[in-house]
Amino acid sequence: MALFVAENLRKRFGARVVLENISLSIEEGSVHGIMGPNGAGKTTCFHVLTGHHRPDGGRITFDGRDITGKKPHQIARLGVSRSFQIMNLFDDTVVIENVILALKQFRRNGMNLLRDVFSDTKLIDQAIDVLDQVGLAHRAWEKAAELPYGERRALEIAVALAPEPRIVFLDEPTSGLGTEATRALAVLIRKLRARYTIVLIEHDMRFLFDLADRISVIHWGQVIDENTPDELQSNKWVARSALGEVA
Amino acid sequence: MTAMLEVRNLEKIYTKSRFDRTPTFRLTADFTVEKPGIVGMMGPNGSGKTTLFELITGSNAPTSGEVAVSGRNIHKVRTDQRDRLAIHYHQSYQVRHFRSWKPNVMMEPAGSDYPMLHLFDEPQFNTQDGYIGFMLDFFRRLREEGRLVFLCVHPNERFHLEIVEEICESFVFVNKGSVTSLPDYASLLAHEPARAYLGDLLTECAA
Repeated sequence: MALFVAENLRKRFGARVVLENISLSIEEGSVHGIMGPNGAGKTTCFHVLTGHHRPDGGRITFDGRDITGKKPHQIARLGVSRSFQIMNLFDDTVVIENVILALKQFRRNGMNLLRDVFSDTKLIDQAIDVLDQVGLAHRAWEKAAELPYGERRALEIAVALAPEPRIVFLDEPTSGLGTEATRALAVLIRKLRARYTIVLIEHDMRFLFDLADRISVIHWGQVIDENTPDELQSNKWVARSALGEVA
Repeated sequence: MTAMLEVRNLEKIYTKSRFDRTPTFRLTADFTVEKPGIVGMMGPNGSGKTTLFELITGSNAPTSGEVAVSGRNIHKVRTDQRDRLAIHYHQSYQVRHFRSWKPNVMMEPAGSDYPMLHLFDEPQFNTQDGYIGFMLDFFRRLREEGRLVFLCVHPNERFHLEIVEEICESFVFVNKGSVTSLPDYASLLAHEPARAYLGDLLTECAA
């Protein structure tokens, strides 16, 4: 069954139509890719799907519930998590604190816990478990600012996983990463797919074709194509391009 | 059956200034596209292609004549709903703005949610990234869904001609403000101004 469904989403900023007609159906347990050229509306699409922008038309359902027009925190509480294109980390704190702040348990207890987060072993154990999922457990007590770029990206994913979401939206996770770090990220996402439904907005088509079960191609604010990587690659113009050599 | 697009005795005259009415540019067009499909549009720079697009989508007002999209006179539809009938996908963010003096409450609603007419103004065709294939599939899907697609191309590479030959069923050629409609690719290649415009690309194709 589809876990997350968007139907005919429309978004306008003044006279400019940014999303003309977006429909997506994301299966539970899959990696769903979203790709498109610059200015195609990918990021706006993410903002609308996660409640950061309200759509002018259309419907979004998550696990059968209508979440159209709900606030980001309400959507997040239901089990939808996201990362941002621009890193959102607390640099002055240690790695584990970034994760603790995003834990469901921490949020439930409210900010009064802030004084003694490090004395709550339950929170620490949970945070270590999340860091372990992204391969950062050994860095837990280092300063976030001191992590290399690729590990910062992994930490950002850990922050998105901390609230125990069912679906995670990752916005251009490979941006700024070198070949080696991109490869490591692919390994990480492959590992996470057993546990989460993952939506990836990506610029790096090789990365996406390699990882995604299905890909929606967005251009002109619309889904211009949607298929499995194999089917998309069988298109004769795709076969003629650099993408044709990916497989 | 209502035609998808009717351009009737359309004329747009640009003059030197509001006071000096000496015409500097004149565009005339009169053609009909009956059914959903994919129409290629070509013509040299400055021949009036963008002006024609603007007149068809209703962002620019004609001096005289009419444009009917799916039977609806586009210039009588509320300005904020015209893109629900005919949408212009610009080649860049440089959209020219025009004023309309008649208030929207005095005009008609579009009566459509998703545009009937889609005008693509020189989409970026690049053989490297593979998007061409997805774009062409999209144009075909729009046609199957009963939409009319206008594809404006400025061919400067051989594969651009391959694209239009593959996807466009008919053509509109704009030259010095006059618009000629051509029923297929063969008649485009037989049209003298089009031959002059395409020039070397044609000899490369034959080679």
